[in-house]
Amino acid sequence: MKHSFIDRYAHLDSPLHMLEARTKIIGFMALVIAVLTVRAGGVGHFFILFFLISILAGISQIPMPYVVGRTLLLLPFVLLAGLAAPWKGSAGWSWFLLLVMRSVLCLLVLVILTNTTRFVELLRGLRKLGCPKLVVANLSFLYRYLFVLADEAMRMKQARDCRRVGRAGIFAELRTLGSMLGTLMVRSFEHADQMYRAMLSRGFSGEFMVIAPRKCSWRDLVFIAVVAVIIAATLYL
Amino acid sequence: MPGSLVEYAVRITRLSYSYPDGNQALESIDLDIRAGERVALVGPSGAGKSTLLLQLNGILRGSGLVRVMGQSVGDGDLKLIRRQVGLVFQDPNDQLFCPTVFEDVAFGPLNLDVPRQEIQKRVEQALIDVKLDYSYASRSAHHLSHGERKRVALATVLAMEPAILALDEPTSNLDPSNRRHLIELVACLPATLILATHDLEMVLALCSRTVVMNHGKIQAEGETRALLENAGLMEKHGLEVPLSLRNRSA
Amino acid sequence: MHLPDGFLTNRIAFSLDALSGASILFAARRVKQEFSARVVPVMGVFSAFIFAAQMLNFPLFGGTSGHLVGGALLGIVLGPMAGFLTMATVVIAQALFLQDGGLVAIGANLFNIAALPAFLGYFVYRMLGAPNAPGSRLSIAGFLAGWLSVVAAAAACAVELGLSSAVPMSVGLPAMAGYHAVIGVFEGLLTALVISFLARVRPDLLKKEFSPAFGITDWVGAIVLVAAPLSILVLAGSSQLPDPLQALLTEPSAASGSQESLLSPARYSDLQRFLIYLVLLGVCVVAYSAARILRIRRGRP
Repeated sequence: MKHSFIDRYAHLDSPLHMLEARTKIIGFMALVIAVLTVRAGGVGHFFILFFLISILAGISQIPMPYVVGRTLLLLPFVLLAGLAAPWKGSAGWSWFLLLVMRSVLCLLVLVILTNTTRFVELLRGLRKLGCPKLVVANLSFLYRYLFVLADEAMRMKQARDCRRVGRAGIFAELRTLGSMLGTLMVRSFEHADQMYRAMLSRGFSGEFMVIAPRKCSWRDLVFIAVVAVIIAATLYL
Repeated sequence: MPGSLVEYAVRITRLSYSYPDGNQALESIDLDIRAGERVALVGPSGAGKSTLLLQLNGILRGSGLVRVMGQSVGDGDLKLIRRQVGLVFQDPNDQLFCPTVFEDVAFGPLNLDVPRQEIQKRVEQALIDVKLDYSYASRSAHHLSHGERKRVALATVLAMEPAILALDEPTSNLDPSNRRHLIELVACLPATLILATHDLEMVLALCSRTVVMNHGKIQAEGETRALLENAGLMEKHGLEVPLSLRNRSA
Repeated sequence: MHLPDGFLTNRIAFSLDALSGASILFAARRVKQEFSARVVPVMGVFSAFIFAAQMLNFPLFGGTSGHLVGGALLGIVLGPMAGFLTMATVVIAQALFLQDGGLVAIGANLFNIAALPAFLGYFVYRMLGAPNAPGSRLSIAGFLAGWLSVVAAAAACAVELGLSSAVPMSVGLPAMAGYHAVIGVFEGLLTALVISFLARVRPDLLKKEFSPAFGITDWVGAIVLVAAPLSILVLAGSSQLPDPLQALLTEPSAASGSQESLLSPARYSDLQRFLIYLVLLGVCVVAYSAARILRIRRGRP
């Protein structure tokens, strides 16, 4: 099974890729919040932020088509909001534009963040920022077992497809799917049992121990400084 | 490090165990294994080999007495026992649950409160022991082949520097080249070895003593060659005389 | 149904962030207190299960396809707290892997997609007599749990959008709740099918406990958790804190009259404004390209 949808461009080489996860999480979150606090008439502010984000996107080496493709995710909500725009009178279209700008910019930031940080590094950054160990552990097990279970799911699907003759009705489809999901669930329990035994065998007693992540370098400080300056500019100009 | 002060690595006296669903998996097992010895557990599927291995570090607890490196596996601190017994399961997938190989191999030592600086050394040494390049450390388990996963699974346990290694079907599903490498690897390890396996050629190569199990009981025990040559005994317990011995006795 | 950033007012987004964050901390502590080591691998593998399960599609009308969401199923099989934590992991991972759902909106998404379905699904299932009910009752309980969880999640999403004035409730609520009332039927059917499969094949798994029973501390905790952000929401609503989305709507003229500087849009005619936007967009594209090319040229081979 292809693993490409995670960390797709995270192995690229760019200054952003070299930053520590913590810095990126904080910096990009700050950018998102800055975008969300830009006032209605603040075209200039949007421009400054868009400018910065464009540069970040360029530095990150993430292919443009991919980035643009991700914005399609916004489509359903934009359409829903668009339905309501005509009712708001003259302010309606400015409002709609504001909405679209906000969501596009925030999405761009998220795309850059997740595609310049390897998932394992992201987890370490989250942990260092205070995310509960249980959540981080869950995320790392998800990452590890996703492909194991997805492969099992795909194999079951292939087996089902081999035995499928003609077009069955929707209810027959659902019934087969129900059995497949049930089987996958039972296997999940079995994996969990075995994993638990393996963890116990290696001394696990409930608490996760972690090794400290990478230290900050001068790049991280520069990045934070730049972001802070830009945000201050948008807030006070 | 293998404790040279203890004479017996494992002493099992009248061990019986039934699974919660009532299935009697082990019946009155008596077994002693000396420190440094290499013992094989052979028998058909369902004989109780895996169940016996799980008794060694307290994951399953039956009635009777199990002593590991002089300590009884009871309600005391199981961490001390688990530090001594390195158990490697048949399916490496469930033994490798961390995002990277490094974290998987470091998991054991971390739990055993090994100091941080030591951990790096332990991981490096464990990977050397299983003849894997250190570049594997940053890779994820799902990118590895079955043979590589088996080796990493072994490394995760070696990093804890156990006195006893208990391996459940170490060569299952391995192609001939990987199988040979694994056998060579295991042959170099200093720990007391308990191998539960169907691979009788490996048993001949590595183990001086063999225990034949069936229906949860020990059916026969003794010097490996003598036991494995005994065609009647082998067939009675769902096994076969290994090929290399058959040519000789023919 | 994962809300991207930008559609909720900051007030609502942040209060839901606080609510969801505190709920996760609370649930994590309670689950670990009662079950310590045992529950950790289960939750981890089940997050992967949901992800994998969502890849198994069934054909829907007109070429689209649907899949199990799984919040209610998790709540039923793992109990409400462990189910919530597991689904929360999935929601976070979806935002990180697939950019499905925004960063600041994560709290709203965690509430809609993880908390509501897990708890609601569990309680509906329990109220109908499960797990000791006969087979047919279990299936009906599973169906209702699944269906209700989807509809409730959609309704909550619509309410949040409505309160943010992003989509008026008169449009959003019927649209989202209505659509999901139909889609939810499939969720209900699949939930019921999986439950009945388990009841036949491994009934012991349905009886396992991974969430602590609800005690006094849990109820107190729940009330505090919900009341705190709600009160912040109400209090903040009465303050003068400007919220961009709503400010524009309540005082449309204020935006144009506030700044008579070069940056104020009202100074220019529509055409001029459009051209200016184009120029600004062009500048950004140039900046992007410059950064990209510079990087490539300076980069290592």
